[in-house]
Amino acid sequence: MQSQDFPQLASIEQIEQGFESFGYICSRKIATSVFLAFALRKPILVEGPPGVGKTELAKTTALLLDTPLIRLQCYEGLDEAKALYEWKYGKQLLYTQVLKEKLGDLLHGAQGLAESVERLHQFGDIFYSEDFLEPRPLLKAMQQEKGAILLIDEVDKSDYEFESLLLEILSDYQISIPEIGTVKARTTPMVFLTSNNSREISDALKRRCLHLYIPFPTVELEQRIIRSRVPDVDEKLRHQLVEFVHSLRQLDLKKVPAISETIDWARSLLLMHAEQLDEDLVRNTLNVLLKFEDDIEATDPELRGLVRDSGSD
Amino acid sequence: MQSNIVSFIQVLRSHEVRVSPAESLDAVNVVATLGYSDRSLLRDGLAMTLAKTPEEEVIFLQCFDHFFHGELVDFATADPPQATDQNVLSLSAESADNVKARDGKPGDGASPLIIVARDNPMLQSLLQSPLMQSLVHNDRNELTMAITRAADQVGLQQIQMFTQKGQFTRKILDALGEEHIRNAVIALEKAENPALVEVQRYRDILREQVRDYVEREYLLHAEGKTRQFMDEILSKTRLNNIEHTYLHKVHELVRKMAKKLASRHSRKRRQLRRGQLNMAKTMRKGIATDGVMFHTYWRQVRKEKPQILAVCDVSGSVAAYAKFLLLFLYSLQDVLPKVRSFAFSSHLGEVSDYFDSYSVEKAIELVNWKYGGATDYGNSLLDFARLALNDINSNTTVIILGDARNNNGDPKLEIMQSIYQRSRQVIWLNPESRRAWGTGDSEMLRYQSACHFSAECNNLKQLERIVDQLLKSIG
Repeated sequence: MQSQDFPQLASIEQIEQGFESFGYICSRKIATSVFLAFALRKPILVEGPPGVGKTELAKTTALLLDTPLIRLQCYEGLDEAKALYEWKYGKQLLYTQVLKEKLGDLLHGAQGLAESVERLHQFGDIFYSEDFLEPRPLLKAMQQEKGAILLIDEVDKSDYEFESLLLEILSDYQISIPEIGTVKARTTPMVFLTSNNSREISDALKRRCLHLYIPFPTVELEQRIIRSRVPDVDEKLRHQLVEFVHSLRQLDLKKVPAISETIDWARSLLLMHAEQLDEDLVRNTLNVLLKFEDDIEATDPELRGLVRDSGSD
Repeated sequence: MQSNIVSFIQVLRSHEVRVSPAESLDAVNVVATLGYSDRSLLRDGLAMTLAKTPEEEVIFLQCFDHFFHGELVDFATADPPQATDQNVLSLSAESADNVKARDGKPGDGASPLIIVARDNPMLQSLLQSPLMQSLVHNDRNELTMAITRAADQVGLQQIQMFTQKGQFTRKILDALGEEHIRNAVIALEKAENPALVEVQRYRDILREQVRDYVEREYLLHAEGKTRQFMDEILSKTRLNNIEHTYLHKVHELVRKMAKKLASRHSRKRRQLRRGQLNMAKTMRKGIATDGVMFHTYWRQVRKEKPQILAVCDVSGSVAAYAKFLLLFLYSLQDVLPKVRSFAFSSHLGEVSDYFDSYSVEKAIELVNWKYGGATDYGNSLLDFARLALNDINSNTTVIILGDARNNNGDPKLEIMQSIYQRSRQVIWLNPESRRAWGTGDSEMLRYQSACHFSAECNNLKQLERIVDQLLKSIG
């Protein structure tokens, strides 16, 4: 992708504003990383706790640039046949059938085996050709005429071997297919990799990427996010609920509520026409924020204090 | 400025942030893209290319602040100095007075120093020296530059150990010409001159500034090196010679080594999961589809789960080593199959339970406490045979750690031999050096005959090598 094609990415401020217009409020650091990734043509490895908007970042960038988003969800056992390319076996089989039938016509009049083989060689070898190639996400991203956003989601879920498969794509934006040769990206895609840190990513992969860690947002940032995502929430309530979630994050929980949970909670409070937080309201809606029964039980005795501290009284 | 980035990367490397040449290039590109104008922007940008984990990012931020401390912040904004305390504040007030005095308004506001200096040629010349000038006028920029120059002159960047801090501080002070101030202090002290206090204060400020500077440079250049040096030394020291204060460092080191080994061997195990193509079965199943082999079948590699029995002597002479072997083995739980551990001195017992219910360190403590005492190998081997001999088969690796000093008792070699015959391998680790084997009451040479492999093992390096081999052999 060339920078002149995308004035949206010309400066860090513009990126921030652009993201904001699509409802993605980001810290300056995030905007800087997108700016750098674009300027240096490097992939971004986004890490951070679940629900802080890692995947959303790639989606919003695709919206901002108005380019297709190609997504590859990683899982254990993901291999090149599902990530890179696959041969269209069915068609290849049909092709051999057709070939068998036509063989007589083609070899008509050939003298001896040697001549037959020679004549056979004259036909193009289309058995392994791009016609029979079924592109999978990674190859598809390379083939996009106008560039694309490639999102390799939860790369930590994949196997070690798959990581090495990614190396060629991430550093040179090309894919080697043994039967055909090297397929170079028509336009360099912008690549986002996300990781939840369920295992250590190899150094070779990290080295090729910009590293962006998205932590839980600050109170101010989260306020802005809620204002942008759930604009109908009254300012006072918004203030309270963000404070409450922040104090909840200080507790020892199995799964701390992330931004997506805060947004969901804000929406549910809106539906219930709540005007301010009180203990009962929080208790009844806590399951939106906390996803484990243990967490809910552990929080229960603290609720009164937490609600008070968030400034509702 | 490019050389600046390079030396910054040097600093990062010495703090164990791994930065490859390719990443250095990226960093230079980042600087070229972002420019130097916005400090926090530059910091974020560099952090993305140079720091690859949240932990590294913390180190990075610290180093960044240290490194670009003098160059970007202080000179640009000329903050009031915060490193020194009240002294400086009072100094600045005072120096304002001095300036006034200089302007030709001598009198009540003038400090005793100026008054005294008027009729003391030595003090007069001292006051005129650039160093004293910058001190008196609180000219921080000039002073910092002078210190930097002096530091270059004495080669402060070479600083390696914290013990060198004092030495470098003195060298820099000498290069700055501090001795004139010092001499003046001595002279004034003798003369009981009222200006003494003030000169003394300038001297102290100067010293403090230089000390701070050296401290900062030490943190930048040497701390990382010292740590590497420590790790290196610790891994080669005999484990029972390591001082108590360093023990936590050794634990850390063991964890690190174990992690390295674990990642190396876990990859290998993964590869072995799928076996060869089972041609016969593939063809047979293909009959249903007219001989077209739609599905492939693979020979599964059936692997018996290997088992490890660790038998450790925990008597006084060997306890320290046993501790580290156990720590090592239990740090490798991800790649090692289930480890059963036994401890003995006069008698033997299984201690696996301790490791299940307590943290490794705590468990080791408990084991030491319960089984420590005088050694009896014969008796302990009997106990071991009773407890575990029936569980030993061709998938079992038995690791014995001990000095084989049996206090002249019955060695019960025949038990060792039956273990040897049943097991896949018996490894004996002896903390004593090979030359001492078989001397005095050591039965090592006899026991050795019933081992597949015996090795001297008294520091972490050796231990790591042996565990590496062990993992290879059972992988």
